[in-house]
Amino acid sequence: MQLSDFLSPDRIVCNSDASSKKRALELLSDLLAADQPDATATDIFESLISRERLGGTGIGYGVAIPHGRLKNCDHATAAFIQLKQAIDFDAIDKQPVDLLFALVVPEESSEDHLKLLAMLAGMFNDDDFRQQTRQCQSGQDLHRLFIEQAGN
Amino acid sequence: MELLNNLLLIAALLLFGSIVVSSISARVGAPLLLIFLIVGMLAGEEGPGNLVFDDVGTAYLIGSVALGIILLNGGLHTKVESFRVGLRPALTLATVGVLITSALVGLLAAWVFDLHWLQGLLLGAIIGSTDAAAVFSLLHARGMNIERRVGATLEIESGSNDPMAVFLTIMLIEILLTQGSLFAWNTLLLFAIQMGIGAVAGILGARLLVYMVNHLSLANGLYPLLVTSGGLLIFALANSLGGSGFLAIYLLGVGLGNRKLHAGQNILRVHDGLAWLSQIGMFLILGLLVTPSELLPLAGDALLIALALIFVARPLAVLVCLAPYRFVWREQLYIAWVGLRGAVPIILALFPLLAGLEQAELYFNVAFFVVLVSLLMQGWTVAPVARLLRLEIPPGPEPVMQIDTLIPGHPECEILVYKLGSTSPLRNRSPDYFVLPGTARLTSVIRHGISYDANDIERFEPGDYLHILAASNEVEQINRLFTTLEYAADHQFFGDFILEPSARLCDLSTAYGVPVPHACDTLSVGEYLTQQFHNKPVVGDRVKLDKIELVVLEMEAGQIVKIGLKITG
Repeated sequence: MQLSDFLSPDRIVCNSDASSKKRALELLSDLLAADQPDATATDIFESLISRERLGGTGIGYGVAIPHGRLKNCDHATAAFIQLKQAIDFDAIDKQPVDLLFALVVPEESSEDHLKLLAMLAGMFNDDDFRQQTRQCQSGQDLHRLFIEQAGN
Repeated sequence: MELLNNLLLIAALLLFGSIVVSSISARVGAPLLLIFLIVGMLAGEEGPGNLVFDDVGTAYLIGSVALGIILLNGGLHTKVESFRVGLRPALTLATVGVLITSALVGLLAAWVFDLHWLQGLLLGAIIGSTDAAAVFSLLHARGMNIERRVGATLEIESGSNDPMAVFLTIMLIEILLTQGSLFAWNTLLLFAIQMGIGAVAGILGARLLVYMVNHLSLANGLYPLLVTSGGLLIFALANSLGGSGFLAIYLLGVGLGNRKLHAGQNILRVHDGLAWLSQIGMFLILGLLVTPSELLPLAGDALLIALALIFVARPLAVLVCLAPYRFVWREQLYIAWVGLRGAVPIILALFPLLAGLEQAELYFNVAFFVVLVSLLMQGWTVAPVARLLRLEIPPGPEPVMQIDTLIPGHPECEILVYKLGSTSPLRNRSPDYFVLPGTARLTSVIRHGISYDANDIERFEPGDYLHILAASNEVEQINRLFTTLEYAADHQFFGDFILEPSARLCDLSTAYGVPVPHACDTLSVGEYLTQQFHNKPVVGDRVKLDKIELVVLEMEAGQIVKIGLKITG
């Protein structure tokens, strides 16, 4: 499975001014819902927030990867937002978050789900990559950067 | 007068030389204690130093005092948290374990050296205990961080098994001198009395000393010495009342180390220095005392004893003693391997010499040889074996400097200095995003030797020194913050995501589509992990659930507070 299969430039927002964890997750849910005809933004928000309740998905270094499994869904979808101002996200390192990559997957595909998550966490573990992500000025640039990084 | 000055010259030269030589130890990875022992041997009668020293009484006196100081310092650094996971296994090892090891090695020694079986047992008892100096210094060598369950067990064992070995040795010497019988009820009573008096003296002594440190008004430099002299006083007092002084001073150290003390950092720092001085002094003296040429004829037989101790007796004792506590095999193997012998066996071997027992020379030389082999084989490999058995926890960053601000009439504050490593999650981030708990504040940043106001720093850089001013009761929280920061950087070990311990196992199963054990699905993740590790989880404990792994990330007062989730694929 390629990153380009489930992340398109129209689901990437650059320089967003979402100012709280809730607002950021709502924005991500809206973006994801556009690619999920059988699920509403509310369904997606519920799925993401119920995962957050188990423990924040902030993986440190200002990055969070909210994720969840979804009923009535037949393909994985991702969305990304880059924030103007970092927000409190209850991250593993207790530091605020300004890069959020969200992922929803069909309920059946637990194995692919886990593989994708591991890949994303690995991708954002790279310091240079995070710096480049923060410097990008448009969704197109970010998309290109992600595809490039995932190809490596 | 000139004689005295010469003595001083020699002693200072030896001490100075040992300290200088120790700097190469880090480079070759050799245990420092081995180096001190070798310096002593080189300075001795058959080395280039050509010093003749055979005053057993002096060696015994210096050795006991030094060991007392080392145990005091070990106690000061032993956190009560360690007792939660390590106390019972360690006490079993310190009693039953010493008995089993001594008996097995003793019987073999009787056969190898053609001794009476009681004489064999005496030799076994002499080399029966692990050494606090060796264990404390090797487990805390720079950059080492051992999983808590194993580290606590080894440390408490080494702090508390000397009394047992001392007791066995003295009892066997008595029996050999008087041809008495072995199993009399009064020997058991004697043991109970020794431990009882030692424990009471240590615990009461600690209370008294805590009170005095916090209430007496002294020059700042005197607080550490108050603790040292108080410790030695309790040590000697317990001994003269017929108790175990070693146990007393160790417990005294534990009692002090877990209380808030006036000038606490200063006390710790001075005792670290004193413990070093004691180790150097003790091993130098013991190295001087031995006559290496007398070791050579024994080498083959003594090596056999050493190997039997390391590869058979100790592992068997560990296996038996830890059976009730359900350690995993990697932990057991490591505890078996770190049965370090050090100064204690050599000091115990002085007892038969002092008592004028036959074969006393043999005991001494064999004990010395066994210690050499143990330091060489086990001491040298403490760190690599921990890595091999995956028992090393990535070390949390320690403050490079921690200073009490002792301003009379003000609440106690501490200044903590942290150095940012090249992988620190804070690098390249703005100080605005650096959130500290409570009233703690980042006061300044030292970069390339120049001090900057925290507000003038745009981004942190690797190599920055962060100066943080915090109330004394916030220090622990800040240390934990830096540890979590570092752990967040180590996805390899601690995983990618965090889970709250209160998360339900069934919800976890829903979120990731992994099966959970049916009987457990009403439990929370924290309860499940606690149950899996028999109510005594430690940081680094992990459980695999299909394709994910749960890792204990952070503990507080015996409770799990953060769990890592690692995807193993």
